[in-house]
Amino acid sequence: MTSQTPRGSQEALRDEVRAWLHANWPGRDREAPHGWLAKVVEGRWAVPRWPAVWMGRDLDDEHARIVESEFAAVGAPGAGQDRTNLWANTLLARGTDALKEKLVLPLLRGEVGMCLLYSEPGAGSDLASVRTRADRQGDHFRVNGQKVWTSFAATADYGMLIARTDWDAPKHKGIGFFFLPMKQPGVQVRPLRQITGESQFNEVFLTDAVCPQENLLGEATDGWGVLQTALAYERSAMGEAARGPRRGMGQSAPADDPLIALAREAGAMEDPVLRQEIAKVVILKRLNTLNATRAKADMRQGTSSSLMSLGKLAMSRILHEEARVRTLILGAESLLDGPDHPRADDTNFLTLNAYFTSIGGGTDQIQRNIIGERVLGLPKEPEIDRDVPFRAVRTS
Amino acid sequence: MGVLGVAVPERFGGIGGDAVLIEALMEEVGAALVCGPFLSSAVFAAALLENLGDAEISAKLLPQMAAGSLIAAVAVQDAAAAGTQSGVAPKARQKASGWRIEGEVAYVIHADAAHILLVAAETSEGLRVFLVEGNAHGLARSPLSTFDKTLRLSRLRFDATPARRIEARRETTEALANALDLVRVALAGEQAGGARRVLDITVDYAKSRIQFGRPIGSFQAIKHMAADLLLEVESATSAAREAARLLSMGSASAGAAVSLAASACGDAFVKVTADAIQMHGGIAFTWDHDAHLYLRRARADAQLFGTPAFHREQYLRAMGA
Ligand SMILES: Cc1cc2nc3c(=O)[nH]c(=O)nc-3n(C[C@H](O)[C@H](O)[C@H](O)COP(=O)(O)OP(=O)(O)OC[C@H]3O[C@@H](n4cnc5c(N)ncnc54)[C@H](O)[C@@H]3O)c2cc1C
Repeated sequence: MTSQTPRGSQEALRDEVRAWLHANWPGRDREAPHGWLAKVVEGRWAVPRWPAVWMGRDLDDEHARIVESEFAAVGAPGAGQDRTNLWANTLLARGTDALKEKLVLPLLRGEVGMCLLYSEPGAGSDLASVRTRADRQGDHFRVNGQKVWTSFAATADYGMLIARTDWDAPKHKGIGFFFLPMKQPGVQVRPLRQITGESQFNEVFLTDAVCPQENLLGEATDGWGVLQTALAYERSAMGEAARGPRRGMGQSAPADDPLIALAREAGAMEDPVLRQEIAKVVILKRLNTLNATRAKADMRQGTSSSLMSLGKLAMSRILHEEARVRTLILGAESLLDGPDHPRADDTNFLTLNAYFTSIGGGTDQIQRNIIGERVLGLPKEPEIDRDVPFRAVRTS
Repeated sequence: MGVLGVAVPERFGGIGGDAVLIEALMEEVGAALVCGPFLSSAVFAAALLENLGDAEISAKLLPQMAAGSLIAAVAVQDAAAAGTQSGVAPKARQKASGWRIEGEVAYVIHADAAHILLVAAETSEGLRVFLVEGNAHGLARSPLSTFDKTLRLSRLRFDATPARRIEARRETTEALANALDLVRVALAGEQAGGARRVLDITVDYAKSRIQFGRPIGSFQAIKHMAADLLLEVESATSAAREAARLLSMGSASAGAAVSLAASACGDAFVKVTADAIQMHGGIAFTWDHDAHLYLRRARADAQLFGTPAFHREQYLRAMGA
């Protein structure tokens, strides 16, 4: 097998992916068999943009997209992780050799449970004011503090942690970024119930938790920079995809948009007012896809794209609007929930879960600030606590 | 507990409150997110009985309802879910042994706890309201699982269910329309009061929650949202109170004012509760925070007795447009 596909040989690459999928994937829209991700990694399809030493193919974006689209065409997961795998990308970019050796491939194979230990009761939008502390002691750090809203902490093997390492430096300059081992006595996880009724996020209490030196990414006081890398991956993933209804509906082509399917089923496609509302949402989704495509084209030309920052904000609007229009379609049926009323249950779940995107990963308001300041170059909001030693800063 | 007699005339042991008093009371109900069959029994059922004016039945039931010992529910096809349902009303037939009802009504509010039901059914002379005992033979109440856990809804099935016809001193449809007008004003009050409380809670939070070294309410993003929501809250309150005032005066323009209030308050409550979650951030995504309880109530209220869209259409029609 070649590990390098020359530019211009798009058809050859397409044929190679197809042949591989034909030989290995059980068939269109089937469940992934056991060990599937490992196979994808081994076939060098998981991270084709990456260098060969990390099971990549050094492909450019245009070629890598071909791999992704062939996987998507048969509903096979696991490709495109060089864009979407927040954990592996952050680790590859900033991790120590020892940690990369240990975790990069297992992360691609989906063998490592992960969570984000960023938010604290007093530090949400303002992550640079974290108060969880990491103190160096010989060959490891000792971590003490409390995290909150930590999705999937209960099953995680590692958490990407930000913690204060220097209390006398200004708040952005005294933070470290770690892969904290979660399965240890110093880490206690308490589930929180969400408004959807689910319990995916948690409180995490850290009491003398131990983090080996090699699990530090970047310098001990340069965690803010590492965090920016990680946040960019997280936000771009949230801009491209969002969770569907609880029961899962999978990916669908624009032609059978789930909103139109619901409207048809409910007889709402005859109503001219609802048609307008439906059209607006379907068009918003299409526009987001077109923006994303242009953003990628810009990236290929080496220009940084303002479009990239808009994706998460656009997705948030789409999700809230889609839930609203679903409610209009269902009318009184939306009073109901539970397994006996799946259409209403989906609609109400999507209404609530839209906040996952408009609050989680940085709120819409924060996204707008970022777009205004970093993309449009508008003057920055004065930050009264930016260059003050962290000890002197006012927090909740 | 005098409030349970708010819509019951004084001669039957109630307060004899008018729409203005009921609307004011419902603003408090909305603010405190009171659960229970207040709207369905103390307002809707009591107003329907009073409007029908069957002297014997009113004298028997209304004092017990005012005292809180009797809970009633109203089963009218297309009432609770006006504009979206187009089911067929149950049918009533007179047998030698008395009246019998056949058929189904969905979305009946707080029927599960009701001791008696007021059921609108078709007869050969048109629509009439019947009294059905909660434990009547041939009555099946299936609870529906609801998104707003404080709202109880049932589907009722009548299978040769014995019933007593309530005499009416005016057209049944007119009595129903009058009672529904009062219910809609009451609901508008609940929506306005609920929205105001949620905004208060949110503004308080924005003053105390510190991020970036300052209260989040000092950010214009939050301040502007709050200002927009205040406009929603005040508009909803004005609409609800004006509808109550005109209804209590028996004004000819009450109908339009009720539709205006129903549409404005329905949308306002949803908007305010939805934005409040966003303005709180992660804390409001937790079950233990009250924000989602208000959102659930707001979403339910926006479907009851006609959606905002339905009432916008009614409003245009009332304006002759
Ligand atoms: C479903 C879900 C899952 C999550 N999962 C995780 C996770 O796994 N790991 C993790 O670390 N965190 C997680 N979070 C936390 C999430 O990142 C934070 O909730 C988010 O960043 C907001 O912080 P906060 O909740 O403290 O709200 P706050 O920061 O207190 O914000 C409150 C309000 O103030 C506004 N605001 C704050 N600052 C500004 C400003 N400068 N300008 C304008 N408006 C401002 C916000 O937009 C918001 O409306 C999750 C949250 C949710 C809802």
